Amino acid sequence: MLEIKNLHVKIADEDTEILKGIDLTLPKGEVHAIMGPNGSGKSTLAYVLAGKPDYEITGGTITWNGEDITGMSPDERAARGIFLAFQYPIEIPGVATMTFLRTSLNAVRKARGEEQLSTPEFMRVVREKADELKVSSDKLKRPLNVGFSGGEKKRQEILQMSLLEPTLCVLDETDSGLDIDALKIVADGVNALRGPERAMLVITHYQRLLNYIVPDKVHVLSNGKIVRTGGKELALELEKSGYAEFGEAAA
Amino acid sequence: MSVEVLKTKAEQGLADQFTAARSGLPGAGNAWAEGLRDAAWETYRSAGLPHRRIEEWKYTDLRALLRDAYPPAPALTEALTRDDISAALGPALAALDCHRLVVVNGQLRLELSDAGGLEGKGELLSLGDALGDPSDWLKQTLAQANPPRNDTVVALNTALMTGGAALRIADNVKLNKPVHIVHMLTSREAASVTTRNVVVVGAGAKVTLLESYVSHGTAPAQRNAVTELVAGDGSRVHHIKFQNENLETAHLTSWMTRLGADVTYDAFQFSLGARLARNQIFVAFAGEGSRSHVSGAVLARGRQHNDTTMVIDHGVPACESREFNKLVLDGSARGIVQCKAIVRKDAQKTDGHQMARALMLSEAAEFDSKPELEIFADDVVCGHGSTSGQVDEEHLFYLRARGIPEPQARALLIAAFIGEAIEKVENESIREAFLNFTGSWLAGEGA
Ligand SMILES: Nc1ncnc2c1ncn2[C@@H]1O[C@H](COP(=O)(O)OP(=O)(O)O)[C@@H](O)[C@H]1O
Ligand SMILES: [Mg+2]
Repeated sequence: MLEIKNLHVKIADEDTEILKGIDLTLPKGEVHAIMGPNGSGKSTLAYVLAGKPDYEITGGTITWNGEDITGMSPDERAARGIFLAFQYPIEIPGVATMTFLRTSLNAVRKARGEEQLSTPEFMRVVREKADELKVSSDKLKRPLNVGFSGGEKKRQEILQMSLLEPTLCVLDETDSGLDIDALKIVADGVNALRGPERAMLVITHYQRLLNYIVPDKVHVLSNGKIVRTGGKELALELEKSGYAEFGEAAA
Repeated sequence: MSVEVLKTKAEQGLADQFTAARSGLPGAGNAWAEGLRDAAWETYRSAGLPHRRIEEWKYTDLRALLRDAYPPAPALTEALTRDDISAALGPALAALDCHRLVVVNGQLRLELSDAGGLEGKGELLSLGDALGDPSDWLKQTLAQANPPRNDTVVALNTALMTGGAALRIADNVKLNKPVHIVHMLTSREAASVTTRNVVVVGAGAKVTLLESYVSHGTAPAQRNAVTELVAGDGSRVHHIKFQNENLETAHLTSWMTRLGADVTYDAFQFSLGARLARNQIFVAFAGEGSRSHVSGAVLARGRQHNDTTMVIDHGVPACESREFNKLVLDGSARGIVQCKAIVRKDAQKTDGHQMARALMLSEAAEFDSKPELEIFADDVVCGHGSTSGQVDEEHLFYLRARGIPEPQARALLIAAFIGEAIEKVENESIREAFLNFTGSWLAGEGA
């Protein structure tokens, strides 16, 4: 279970507070959506969960499976099953995708006390997952994300997620920049990972994604606070009314 | 007559060495060889070691950096075995399928070489022997391939050289295996070595020439090595240097290259070792339609000083030159890249570009880059760039978010950075060997 209590966050070298007291409880087996206008702090929350050094927690706690994660490095969190699918996945020239996937998978497996995969096994697993996500083998031969379209990068993120089999999946606007076919492929990939051992936090600006990944709960984030929580029908309501009442005009 | 030029102990020591050795140096008694040495000596004697007020040497002040002149390594030393050579090269390069020429303490040693495959492909001479009885092609090449003016390090080499490989590849010969000249120094005491290679590549010939500079043992050393290379019309030459000498070594090398017409010259230098390294590369275009791509990768840490200085001389039209250097600098290492591109009046349609990039792993490391363009023609495309920066924090976070621990993530990013340069090496075995060396270097990172 993920438990966030009264979380306050600011940017490390500035005074501006971005998250202003977040409370959120996400049990295993559930999928929660976070919706909110641009600039409300959605990505900040996602980064803080993953341990990005640019942010400073000034108050509150985050526990995952009862363990305080706030002092952990990003790789320690990944080892504990936390995975962030980036809103803007980055390109890393010179790092071959396969080398990266293998190093990542072996690091996570090692941390979980599992055996390293042999080369043929690794190749087979990657091939299988890549096929499901319609990622061509040509893309796997390139340096990580270099020259990929926005949609291709998002699919790489989901490929990494399905390889690493994390238990807390945080998806930051995975839907943005995807056409409807790509959206379905990605949603299928995400749905395939749903299960009693896994918690998912799906961040999105639009209701559309939630037609394909149906959440158990929807939280509305505005100006660094969760201002409403409801069932999946809250997303539809927001789709009609927009974020006006939550300060969209400010964005 | 003139004021005293040779001021420092090292400068005076070199003078004493020349005086003592002159009558016993290879080629003594041959008027041509003596003439070359004496003229070179005069260049040195009138200027001394280069120092920081000489523009080309402002970052590498040899007067300050060389305290003593070490005595020349004796030509005949204790037995050196093939295993010793393999150990000095490391397994990946030792296993390279090649024509191996071994130069130990300044002499080509055929009994340690594997030169049989070169028979019938041209001519291989031991320079030390050939100086006393030079063939025409040697006379036409030595000190004439592309001699820099007033470079006293090259002049010292000509004055004091004891030997090396003199290799002529006949026209249209395509060598499938690389020629690997292994330069080794073996000595228990501090010693110096002055070697010279002369390579003439015939028209239409194709060759990969790898020069390795490695140490046997840990004794302090001073190396002055020159390779002169003349590439005939339509030839293809890959020229690679691997430098992994011990950290007590002052390594001075100068490549002097002249390219005929329609030549493809790809040069690459990989430097890991030596306390002080000055890598000089002089390329002159003497025929139209040629290209020269000179690249390099430097890994330096501790107190290593590595200076790559290039002069690319476009004397004829329609040639292309590229210089691409990458450096990883840790500790209080200092990296320098200087490149002067000269485009002479007749060299229209020149296409030249240079780039130097440094990855700084510590606050105390220093990078200096000095590009220079001297353009006298009007229809040319020339550019230069230089960057220095740290490991990208966003990249690092991304890798760590995928479970890769920080040291491993950093190593991956550093290897990616330098890999972009090493990729320029076309020969797969040599490229893989260099990537392996990078991996080992990174594994010892922070040590
Ligand atoms: N690293 C950062 N540096 C400066 N400002 C930031 C940084 N991260 C977020 N912010 C600011 O914090 C606010 C919330 O941003 P973000 O979390 O990206 O919102 P969302 O993802 O909901 O659009 C915005 O005003 C944004 O400009
Ligand atoms: Mg965002």
